[in-house]
Amino acid sequence: MSDQMSEPVASSQELAAEVTTDEQARVERAAEVAGESGPLQSVRRNEVLSAMLRNVGLVVVLILLAIIGTLTSDNFLTSDNLRNILVSSSVIGVVVVGMTFVIIGGGIDLSVGALVALASVWATTVATQDYGAAAMVACALLVGVGAGLVNGVLIAYGRLVPFIVTLAMLVSARGLAAKMADNRTQIVRVQTVIDIARKDVIGVPMLVVILAVVVAAGWVVLNRTTFGRRTFAIGGNPEAARLAGIDVRRHTASLYMLSGLCCGIAAVMLMARTTTGSSTHGNLYELDAIASVIIGGTLLSGGKGTLIGSILGVLVFQTITNIFILNNLATEVQMIAKGLIIVAAVLLQSRTTREAKT
Amino acid sequence: MTTMTTEAGNGAATGGTPLLQLRGVNKSFGAVQVLQDVDLTVRLGRVTALVGDNGAGKSTLIKGVAGIHAFDSGDYVFEGQTVSVHNPKQANALGIEVVYQDLALCDNLDIVQNLYLGREMLSTGFLDEISMEERAAETLAGLSVRTVKSTRQKVASLSGGQRQTVAIARAVLWNSKLVILDEPTAALGVAQTEQVLRLVRRLADRGLAVILISHNMTDVLAVADDIAVLYLGRLTAQVDAKDVNHSEVVQLITGGELVKEGGKVVVTDPHDTDLGPDPDGPDPTPGQTGAQS
Repeated sequence: MSDQMSEPVASSQELAAEVTTDEQARVERAAEVAGESGPLQSVRRNEVLSAMLRNVGLVVVLILLAIIGTLTSDNFLTSDNLRNILVSSSVIGVVVVGMTFVIIGGGIDLSVGALVALASVWATTVATQDYGAAAMVACALLVGVGAGLVNGVLIAYGRLVPFIVTLAMLVSARGLAAKMADNRTQIVRVQTVIDIARKDVIGVPMLVVILAVVVAAGWVVLNRTTFGRRTFAIGGNPEAARLAGIDVRRHTASLYMLSGLCCGIAAVMLMARTTTGSSTHGNLYELDAIASVIIGGTLLSGGKGTLIGSILGVLVFQTITNIFILNNLATEVQMIAKGLIIVAAVLLQSRTTREAKT
Repeated sequence: MTTMTTEAGNGAATGGTPLLQLRGVNKSFGAVQVLQDVDLTVRLGRVTALVGDNGAGKSTLIKGVAGIHAFDSGDYVFEGQTVSVHNPKQANALGIEVVYQDLALCDNLDIVQNLYLGREMLSTGFLDEISMEERAAETLAGLSVRTVKSTRQKVASLSGGQRQTVAIARAVLWNSKLVILDEPTAALGVAQTEQVLRLVRRLADRGLAVILISHNMTDVLAVADDIAVLYLGRLTAQVDAKDVNHSEVVQLITGGELVKEGGKVVVTDPHDTDLGPDPDGPDPTPGQTGAQS
């Protein structure tokens, strides 16, 4: 994969330059004030460029995957299939937005798949469905946020390790979902909910639009608000953040609530797509989500990462899955391959971090 | 929103107006009385060095001033008003900023982001990067910092002296009146120490009150106007730096006392009265650094 990523450097500079115009305008203004335009600009530009390059690298990986897909299967480059990749990326993509925040903030959330399942079951119980679509959506979101709050409080105020807390939540939330559903799959009867997955907005599937909105909102929060800035700070050095007057515990708790909220949204999307609520929904989402975030260049140790990278990571991961399915690879082989890809991504990350440090 | 505080303060020569006065301050942790009846006066435009051996109570004293552990009793007088400071936010509101020994910077953020961490400037609810960047550049220029290439450099890429500079700039960004520096030169080389000391001097020359905690007597005598000595939780002396020399300060730190001898203030040698050096006593070697106090 590293070979593929080194190629685009020359060809991608135009693209990178275009996107960073806004950043440069800011840098130039400040440079005038500082009276040292040369080094100031170049330092910032290099930094923006290196982040851009990584994302451009992911785009190139996507293009290469598309070429491989087209060569190995006649069905890959059809509008139906591309649509399918986007739609299947959209549900996990929303989960990944929340996961990116949590990981940048120095945590991890293993419970996302289970929360999606629990929210889908709770929102599709007979009692909830009686109140209509709005109640179902509200229920799913509330279950997500509520479970996230439990995670967050235990981690931030109970000072427990995120890994353990969310692992416990993974087991118990899925258990609760199975108990609530009595191990049966619950059918969604409310047409409005089902329509979410059936409708297009100017030719784009509604689910993809939802992902786009969530990503856009997440990007703004992460890059343009104090919440995002403080998320990076806490992931980088929680003690310094505390001394700077940031309420680290409350912030940490809210990160897990945000992840829970994303799971609630994903649950609604999945309910619409499958027309069911089930305790088996979102199986191994935690794996897909964490893998996508790492492929997207976010540091597992926190403090560094981009949302765009994570979404590109989702697309890469889902495209690989799609190619496997089109080529009729056995599920077992797919799982083995996915595992190898995750290991490769982590290896690549630790190598690039080491290089960056020297 | 000016970069610096007032140019007020009567400069160094005659000792500026008292900004902070502690009177009879006490602090205990459980049964251990760490501070006992401490009186301290900190003046505008002057660097007050707070010296003392490990465990003398320096950290407790500044933590009390900074509102991290409030004092048990005693008067906390700031700008002539008796105030109560029970948390860091109240201290910040008064214009008190602390630069911690371990610097408390986020390596993964750049200089501007670190300067404004926790107190980011906003416009219409979003981060106002341009204003923050401009003011960061102004502040650094105002402190005559020219060694930093870019305000958008990650702090991880800075040298120890530059990091200290950023930490100090962070403290003066908020119209602060009193800047407390905990061992600012502890981890620095000779040239960088020089640089930071000049910066400390400049803060005082601009009218701020500065409390400098240091184990390095050379640094203290180079930059301080007043020297306050803590010994076993008591403030045993507060003298003008011009009136004492290196060995006298060391004697004060190790338990010596100020006595008047024929109109002249002299420092007694603690080891004259004791039978030899105290086995538990301090190591008076100057330049001992890095130890927690």
